Amino acid sequence: MITFSNVSLIYPQSTKTILEDLSFQIEEGEMVLVMGETGSGKSSLLRLINGLVPHHTGGILAGDISVDGISTRAVKPGSLAHLVGIVGQNPINGFVTDIVEEELAFSMEALNFPPDVMRKRVEEVLDLLSLSALRNRSIATLSGGEQQRVAIGAALVMHPKVLVLDEPTSALDPIAAEEVLSVLHRLVHDLSVTVIIAEHRLERVIQFVDRIISIEGNGDTSIGTADEILKRSDLVPPIVRLARALNLSEIGTSVRDVRRQTEEIRNSQYSRPVTERANHSTAIEVIDVSHSYGEKSALKKVSAHINHGDIVAVMGRNGAGKSTLLHSIVGLHSPDTGEVRVNGVDPTHLKGADRRRSIGYVPQEPSDLLFASSVEEECLLADRNSELAQGSTATLLNRLVPHISLHAHPNDLSEGQRLALVLSIVLSSNPDVLVLDEPTRGLDYRAKNLFANALKEYASQCNRPVLLATHDVELVAELADRVLFLAEGEIVADGTTLDVLLSSPAFAPQIAKVMSPKPWLTVADVVHAIEGSQ
Amino acid sequence: MKKSLHPLTMWICATLLAIGVVALDNASVALAMVGAVALLVYIRRDGSPWQRSFLLSLRIGATILGIRTIVGILIGVPIPGTNLFTLPILDLPSWMPGIRIGGAVTLERLSFSLHEGVIIATMIALFGAATSLTSPHKLLRVTPSFIYEVGITLVIATSLFPQLATSARRIRTAQKLRGMEKIELRSIAIPLLEESLSRSLQLAAAMDARGYGISRKRSRYRPQPWLLRDNLILLLSTVATIAMVTR
Repeated sequence: MITFSNVSLIYPQSTKTILEDLSFQIEEGEMVLVMGETGSGKSSLLRLINGLVPHHTGGILAGDISVDGISTRAVKPGSLAHLVGIVGQNPINGFVTDIVEEELAFSMEALNFPPDVMRKRVEEVLDLLSLSALRNRSIATLSGGEQQRVAIGAALVMHPKVLVLDEPTSALDPIAAEEVLSVLHRLVHDLSVTVIIAEHRLERVIQFVDRIISIEGNGDTSIGTADEILKRSDLVPPIVRLARALNLSEIGTSVRDVRRQTEEIRNSQYSRPVTERANHSTAIEVIDVSHSYGEKSALKKVSAHINHGDIVAVMGRNGAGKSTLLHSIVGLHSPDTGEVRVNGVDPTHLKGADRRRSIGYVPQEPSDLLFASSVEEECLLADRNSELAQGSTATLLNRLVPHISLHAHPNDLSEGQRLALVLSIVLSSNPDVLVLDEPTRGLDYRAKNLFANALKEYASQCNRPVLLATHDVELVAELADRVLFLAEGEIVADGTTLDVLLSSPAFAPQIAKVMSPKPWLTVADVVHAIEGSQ
Repeated sequence: MKKSLHPLTMWICATLLAIGVVALDNASVALAMVGAVALLVYIRRDGSPWQRSFLLSLRIGATILGIRTIVGILIGVPIPGTNLFTLPILDLPSWMPGIRIGGAVTLERLSFSLHEGVIIATMIALFGAATSLTSPHKLLRVTPSFIYEVGITLVIATSLFPQLATSARRIRTAQKLRGMEKIELRSIAIPLLEESLSRSLQLAAAMDARGYGISRKRSRYRPQPWLLRDNLILLLSTVATIAMVTR
């Protein structure tokens, strides 16, 4: 279906080759995962398939790519619209109309399909993706998962043979992600659509894919079955790390496979390690806080205490009130009722340097805080703001992520490097409390690991609380001491990470699913328990 | 969802009424018209981003009214009548005959300036209402296809503009929470510019990938029918216009 022969790609004004001499073939009805570190060229590879690269972006392409016998060199991306459907990472940025039905029909209108064909195909897709209840809704009012399904539908109306998706679940909560992935699974198996997908959170997709293309970042690329690639790769999901730690004979990609191999371990008896947590004093108090936007109430009488030295994760579906809770805590708005105290102070009154010293806040889009023209300038600005010796922030950054060029423009950094830069700017003022809003979107495993270690160090060494909102269950399992689970603006669960994550099947991390009913969340937990009993 | 009118109805209606207002030249009728239109916009509000354009048009109208009045007081031919107050007359060089700055301000002169300002402001408000009651996306769909080629720019502009305000607010919030109290142009403009640039590129790429501009002809999925209601509204506004013009 898709043939790459000796493809190399280089962007103008760049010295780095994105892809070098890449050849592979993808058959009809295959599901292929593209993986690699952030900024390694996954998106470029995907956009090569329908010719957006280089037709839309520029760049020098050597070799040849053909889709269903048509060379992408010869035609514009639009002429492949009936063959290749492409769904971007952030579907809202690619929507052209404002009503679901019209969005679905857009491609067909542009290609002058007769009205009766259009009606039939729109109905088909509405049924296939269970969107018919939403057909007349305005797109802006849909949830993230629904928008992603509309974007997939808008591509499917053309009856494409190939569907290309760039990180389709990165902004979604685990339940919405599951919805989207099961739709893809069905397309592959029922309609023989060829699906190419890029994703960082391998644990979500790995069980569905047939083959993996791994981009190493230095131009090297390998392609093979999941087992072959994951055996060698550094970027692996927890389930593969478990197999390595336990020296299992085979690397399983699904919970079921690994469960079969670990029956013995699960059935032996281990003493449950007792972790004693010192009793800390309260740092953040949230007392009966309610908040509403217009008629929509986002928080309903929420109360919580967060102790010094605790890392607390705020979880819940999209729109459950996570961001509103964080905003109340950092003092963006005073709540309608109730009160918030951060180390005894009302956070809405904090200003300037006082605010920087009391609350460090990393916003959802870290780049909102970046406006200088180089990393060095950004660091110096932070030094001046916090009255530190010149170079302190740069040193901090270097400890978080070594080898960032100080002369690089913040916009040219990879997602992980940019987050590290913002984190070190925020930490440079040595805040009493650290609050982060969905910090790990678009991070690969390595960047996530560095980030988790930095947070752990901050919390334990300075004995200060960290509060983060996130969808990433694996990160929460590794990092958090406690989880607040929100639904519809209310706290429905508040307890240790172990208790909360194990009680909800949708939010359970992979290791917990494999090792159930043993109370282990991470590979480290498993190894620790086995070693402790020997 | 309220049933929408044909996207052209409001525009034709606004044009007719604007002609009528100019022809009748009566400030109180014009003001009544603005009131009626404001009520209509209020009743049919649905929270869409272009809805705000009516308020914007009112603001522009008020500014024009103010400027027209000030200019009317300062410059212009003297109109005899009740003297309100007298401004000192500015001496102008001899090569500018017939123009007077300052001088006596009569009630008649003031009311004439106000009157003219109100008529202009009413016309702007009428078109502002038409913009705010019609989705720009729907308007694009009924325009002929050769105009549609210009459409891609319009689609990007109309979808980016409301987002721009949201993004600016988000960036400002993030920076305020970082303890940056002063609003600096640079600190907001740079992240904003980067974001909107990458967004418009993404949108253009998406339209490209979905076959926009490949076929010269374009079919319509759900043609907006011209209904009885559209006829009625058009009939009413035509009658009103004729009444205003012939009086």
